Amino acid sequence: MQKKGSLSKLKKQENRMGYIFAFPWIFGLIVFGAFPIIASLYISFTSYDMISAPRFIGIENYKILLFNDSIFYQSLGNTIYHVVLAVPLGMFVGVVLALFLNSKIRGMSVYRTLFYLPNVVSIVAMSLLWLWLFNPNFGIINQVLKPVYDLFGMEPLRWYADASTSKMTLILMGLWTAGGSMVIYLAQMQDIPVTLYESAEIDGANWFQKIIYITLPLMTPSMFFNFIMGIIGSFQVFTLAYIMTSGGPSRSTYYFAYYLYDLMMADQNMGMASAMAWILLVIVLVFTMIALKLNKYVVYLGEEN
Amino acid sequence: MKKLLMLLMLLPAILMVAACENPDTKDKVVIDFWHMSPVGSPTFSKMRAIVNEFNNSQDEYFVKGTGFSFWDYWDKISLAISARTAPDLGLSTIDDVYGRAKGGVLYNISEMIAADTSENNIDLDEFRESQKQFARYEGDLYALPFTSTARVLYYNLDILAEKGFTEADVPTTWSELKTFAKHFDVVEGGDIQRLGFDPTYGNATYHGWLWQTGEDFFDEDLNPTLNTETHEFVLQWIKDFNSEFTRAQLQTFGESNNMLGIDPFAAERVAMIVNDDGLNQKIVDAGGTFNYGVAPIPIPDEDGIRVNWGSGFSIELYDNGKNDLARKEASFEFLKYLMSEQTQIKLAEANGWIMSHISAMEKYTADKPLLAKILVEVDYAMDKVYVPYAPSWHGNDWQPFYTEALEGKKTVKQALADARAHYIQKKQNWEATN
Repeated sequence: MQKKGSLSKLKKQENRMGYIFAFPWIFGLIVFGAFPIIASLYISFTSYDMISAPRFIGIENYKILLFNDSIFYQSLGNTIYHVVLAVPLGMFVGVVLALFLNSKIRGMSVYRTLFYLPNVVSIVAMSLLWLWLFNPNFGIINQVLKPVYDLFGMEPLRWYADASTSKMTLILMGLWTAGGSMVIYLAQMQDIPVTLYESAEIDGANWFQKIIYITLPLMTPSMFFNFIMGIIGSFQVFTLAYIMTSGGPSRSTYYFAYYLYDLMMADQNMGMASAMAWILLVIVLVFTMIALKLNKYVVYLGEEN
Repeated sequence: MKKLLMLLMLLPAILMVAACENPDTKDKVVIDFWHMSPVGSPTFSKMRAIVNEFNNSQDEYFVKGTGFSFWDYWDKISLAISARTAPDLGLSTIDDVYGRAKGGVLYNISEMIAADTSENNIDLDEFRESQKQFARYEGDLYALPFTSTARVLYYNLDILAEKGFTEADVPTTWSELKTFAKHFDVVEGGDIQRLGFDPTYGNATYHGWLWQTGEDFFDEDLNPTLNTETHEFVLQWIKDFNSEFTRAQLQTFGESNNMLGIDPFAAERVAMIVNDDGLNQKIVDAGGTFNYGVAPIPIPDEDGIRVNWGSGFSIELYDNGKNDLARKEASFEFLKYLMSEQTQIKLAEANGWIMSHISAMEKYTADKPLLAKILVEVDYAMDKVYVPYAPSWHGNDWQPFYTEALEGKKTVKQALADARAHYIQKKQNWEATN
């Protein structure tokens, strides 16, 4: 029991305990979050080879990247290609999977687990697996497609080994993890009131009409969320290319983050790598802001009173 | 009561920390040494034995050896150096010692050798000048050559014998190489099953072939020299070597080898290949049963120069800015031990590497004719120049252009011109910021 007049003391004590419990997170945020962000901003205005002390050079790194670096635009182009195709395709596959897994069929939890499973597989293991599957010579995908190649008299696709198909190969591979967004779609799908479907059925709506007029509009908040996350994630695409193609062939999968990594590790040019990171932040920010502006036109947030 | 509870909770932690004290390190100067024999690797126990031998030989210093795989090592050491948390001793690449020495992260080894009056001081005459010159900065040594790699032509004697050839028939010039290699190509159903030779396989590099003509990738001012006829000649020769096959066939064959995770020569899928001493160890480790030999890499028919790419690891003492003289002294003592004749032989036995100590390697290879032949080529080896504006000039910078030329996406001339423009742009950009 607290003594009389000790309320403020108790408050202080509670506050103190609150700070103590929050300390690990605050510490992590400052040391591992805020400090590197601020440091990288400073480094982006310096010449820094990771050995000698950084030397301030103003906006030179930004000027070079934007006006005198052909690889910068090549890597940015590759990345935008990836974003433009991978994000909508990923959303489409995620929604289709969610629609399929929202049905009442036997063993549904098993299917849901199976489709989600690729998300818990290490990306390195996944890349190596797909490297085998897409192998132009003895990969199973080309073996399966052999009748198609024969039918059209085509040369077998060389997938990641050909500059014209390498980016698409990595995008197709990325779809294997669409189960991650599927879970979010599914959660929202199951929140849609059954009464809406019942009334639609009374009005004579068929399965397709129910999807188009009820399910999809009510899923727009989760679609929008996945769209934003997809943009942010796709602009940072790196690991697949690093493991599967080393950025090739002919720099066709040399993405923005890959060039940033090479500037840092291969060229020991941390200043320019940091400048690239900040340019990436601005690009992602612009895309996200445009998406947020479109929010009110495409996302259903309930009826206004 | 609360305090008692707290104490009880802290007690196990205190006891655990107390139990962590290692009696081996008590009252000793403890230093860190990073190498490339991680736990679980075939070389781990041998490397540990070498470190333990030093630890047991005296009671002033204790070396903590930490092994990383070759592929992980480079990022780790680079980041540790920049964070000033590098080990006291570590391995690195000898061709870029200049950058680290200039950055002030390495101890001056020349000064330490000069100040040492002990009998077991490092004898610099035991190391090749061609390697030491890469380890110098402003006249002083800031690293020592640790290994001495050389590239040679490996040939499979069993495959040669299938066509009635022997060691005496091994080619010595580029034209001989091409004619000879064609005897061993095997194609079934449009797929290459075996290849005589390919100038892009193994450790064969564009700059390696180029050096044999007497030309270098950069001039003395580090400008790229890619617009010469010699460059075109060399690149065209590489491209045309197996021109009867499509690039897709060659790539697929090469990829199949990579996917299987085996060296194509060790798997007897190529009759000849350019590689370094590491391949010999790979074949030994894999229990290869075929007969093979090595020879100098064939040279151009006219005015060819016997030279090969001879990169190697350096060993360096890192100055993390802590001014810890005791650790510096301990590191130098361990360095002396590692660079001694006896230890260099043990390191060669442990890793299968050709080490840098001349006498040690002469003794080590005395009863190993194949390694002895590779050792001869070390004297004809040269390393790639350090280019500050493109430290990875032979890798990420060059490879896309090289591939485009080989795949026929660009003409040899165009690929070289584009590559040259790329290096010039990099140089301009580097100069603008440095």
